[in-house]
Amino acid sequence: MKNSESEYRVEMTGISKSFGVVSVLENVNLKVKHGEIHALLGENGAGKSTLVKILSGVHQKDGGQVLLNGKEITPKNTHDGQVLGISVVYQELSLVNDLSVAENIYLHKLGASKFWMNWKKITKDAQELIDSLGFEIDASSRVRDLSIVQKQVVEIAKALSEDTKVLVLDEPTTVFDPTDTQKLFDNLFKLKEKGISIIYISHHLEEIFKIADSVTVLRDGVDTGSMAVSDTDTDGVIRLMIGRELKDLYPVRDAEIGEEPIFEVKNLNGRRNLVHDVSFDVKPGEVLGIAGLGGSGRTETAKLIFGADKKKSGTLILNGKEIKCNSPVDAVGHEIGFVSEDRKEEGVFLPLSIRKNISVTSLKSISNKLGFLNVDKEFENVLGLIDKLNIKAPSSEVNVKNLSGGNQQKVALAKWLSIDSKVIFIDEPTRGVDVGAKVEIYNLINEVAKKGVGVVVISSDMPEIMGIADRILVMHEGTFYGELAKSEFSEENILRYSIGKPLKQTVLKKNI
Amino acid sequence: MALTIKEQLSSPGNILKFVIKHNTIFIFVLLVIFSALISDVFFTSVNLSNLLKQVSGIGIISIGMLIVILTGGIDLSVGSMVALLAVTFAILVNTVILPLAIILTIIIGFGLGSVAGYLVAYQKMAPFIATLALMTVARGLGFIYSKGSPITFKTPGGEFMSNFANNSILGVPNIALVFFLIVILAMVMLRYNVFGRLIIAMGSNEEASRLSGIKVSKYKFLVYAISGSLAAIAAIVVASRTNLGSPNMGMAWELDAIAAVVIGGASLNGGKGTAINTLMGVLILGLIGNILNLLNVPSYPQQVVKGAIIIFAVLLQRFERK
Repeated sequence: MKNSESEYRVEMTGISKSFGVVSVLENVNLKVKHGEIHALLGENGAGKSTLVKILSGVHQKDGGQVLLNGKEITPKNTHDGQVLGISVVYQELSLVNDLSVAENIYLHKLGASKFWMNWKKITKDAQELIDSLGFEIDASSRVRDLSIVQKQVVEIAKALSEDTKVLVLDEPTTVFDPTDTQKLFDNLFKLKEKGISIIYISHHLEEIFKIADSVTVLRDGVDTGSMAVSDTDTDGVIRLMIGRELKDLYPVRDAEIGEEPIFEVKNLNGRRNLVHDVSFDVKPGEVLGIAGLGGSGRTETAKLIFGADKKKSGTLILNGKEIKCNSPVDAVGHEIGFVSEDRKEEGVFLPLSIRKNISVTSLKSISNKLGFLNVDKEFENVLGLIDKLNIKAPSSEVNVKNLSGGNQQKVALAKWLSIDSKVIFIDEPTRGVDVGAKVEIYNLINEVAKKGVGVVVISSDMPEIMGIADRILVMHEGTFYGELAKSEFSEENILRYSIGKPLKQTVLKKNI
Repeated sequence: MALTIKEQLSSPGNILKFVIKHNTIFIFVLLVIFSALISDVFFTSVNLSNLLKQVSGIGIISIGMLIVILTGGIDLSVGSMVALLAVTFAILVNTVILPLAIILTIIIGFGLGSVAGYLVAYQKMAPFIATLALMTVARGLGFIYSKGSPITFKTPGGEFMSNFANNSILGVPNIALVFFLIVILAMVMLRYNVFGRLIIAMGSNEEASRLSGIKVSKYKFLVYAISGSLAAIAAIVVASRTNLGSPNMGMAWELDAIAAVVIGGASLNGGKGTAINTLMGVLILGLIGNILNLLNVPSYPQQVVKGAIIIFAVLLQRFERK
């Protein structure tokens, strides 16, 4: 271990920070040893990102002390942070779409070095870096053409392109499927071996217990505890995060499932063959889970059905009648809802108020023939939903961009609850959502199903999908490879189907 | 983290925040006070009435520009459209009865706007390009139909329009009343009508709008058609005021309209902007011209001041966002 005069690589003590009158951090301590993976936990808005941004120089602290290798540092901007060896992979991807992978990875060096760049060398270095991480990405391809998973890998490569001593990862696995996540973990262990200190922010508690050595928990801007991972368990961490016991993460499924399917899909094919020969049905009151690796066509299937992408062929049957669904307008007309995985880009209207977000789907029912809105009725509907979904905001007029991820997701759901949907597709219902809000969203899904709605949930989060679904279909290379009944739910079974292998049990199930 | 209203009010410097939030109105009020102090003539009814008459034409197309900008688009064709439609109106006034001339001009305006709307909404052409092309086409057609020279009103119908445009009710010029009426209609539409709500939603997130089952293309098409119709009304107003239709009318008005909308705090990315603030933007631009005229500032320095005010207004809006 280098620089071992001090026990800790990073020592943040008594950190305070407020924005205007809102105090975000109060007297927070974070101590990270050399070569350890230190998990930073807390609900959305607890102050994790702010704390990390103070370390990296994005924000300046109001009080307290930051030591790096025992020496006090005060980075004024991210460049200072980088020079000190602090690299951050933020939750929001910050790549330049029109540049190549290599150019993005070495972007910070482009302005700083000589006038002429050796592009060949840069591309070669970048390729080596990506190869060493074990992912397959061509360093000369344009970032625009990459999948979201690949973009995340490029972000990580970018952070490692420097002489990094402290690596901060903010929710790095939200877009990853289990195999990619495992690859990332293997890489983190390698970095740890090299003595790099890693600060790991995640909402997936299982991840923390898999990889972290120690953990610091924040709640409402105060650190509620710091300990070795071996000294605690999931319940203990959750208690520190939300300040109370959390009995059950997943609700008891008590919706009555109908006999006849409410919605059937037969031989659905997409234009670009990303989705082919997809058939399934969902019954009223049922929560159908769709699992599979990233890129297996789950989201594409939902978008095809919803009419957001063009179908090549396929039949949709709603309540026994064949329907046409060539655009989202048709889908909404047939009372089919779709909550996108990409909340910010496709789900909510960030600059608009909660009220305008929620009522965007139900404008017809709250206006007269000339299109004039009955604002009283609108408020009544919206306030009812805000209350029912427990959306935490001072008023219905707050802009959605000011809400936490969990509350934004509830707004995206509320949009479809404001009309009487018959079938709802929910893609990644809790991506980037904290534990407290997760439970509320699960309960909500359960309640929606109880009303006789057919709910289709797409999720990469295996415990989640096993916790809320009645039945799971697993996608592999654009079609359903297998179906799992509740008794067959296990991570292993989902994974086997995901990679196109039959189950281990004697009974082979491939009844699609 | 969101502030509650209470917290906002209890924080120091809240007056400054309030001013920044409503900066357009404050700039307007400051300019009025400044103008009144600096010139004796400013607060005379003749001057104010002139000011209102001058801004009405640009004001009407600014409202059209606002609803286009709200969807995240832009309409560069409106200035040229005013010229073409003013010429069209003058020809029609001299050939058919007045009500028909008015209706036909507006229908033609709607039609021209529809061309832009079709290109943008259904052919996915960039609004800047589609309306830039139409701008040239409309200006050219204006010159062709007028054979390059102004066409004067020659009929009793024309005389009626000219009288209407130059008279006032209770000191407010009739054409300013037309402008204000359009502002009020736009306000009501943006605030209380589904159409207004949807174009704001589209402007703030087009993909989310599409996935919410909104007919995005239809509404995109409509905003350009409405902008064209408003250009027709503006053309009728300015032609009637001068008793003629000329292919040189409306030169660079699209830029003034964009400036007015932007001074009014609208975002060129769409989704943000109100009719009342656009009205303020129009009045601010008009006021600057008016007071500089009263001070006998020549027109070139006027342009410099105008530009400076636009920059100042937009910088203030930066503070608002922070």
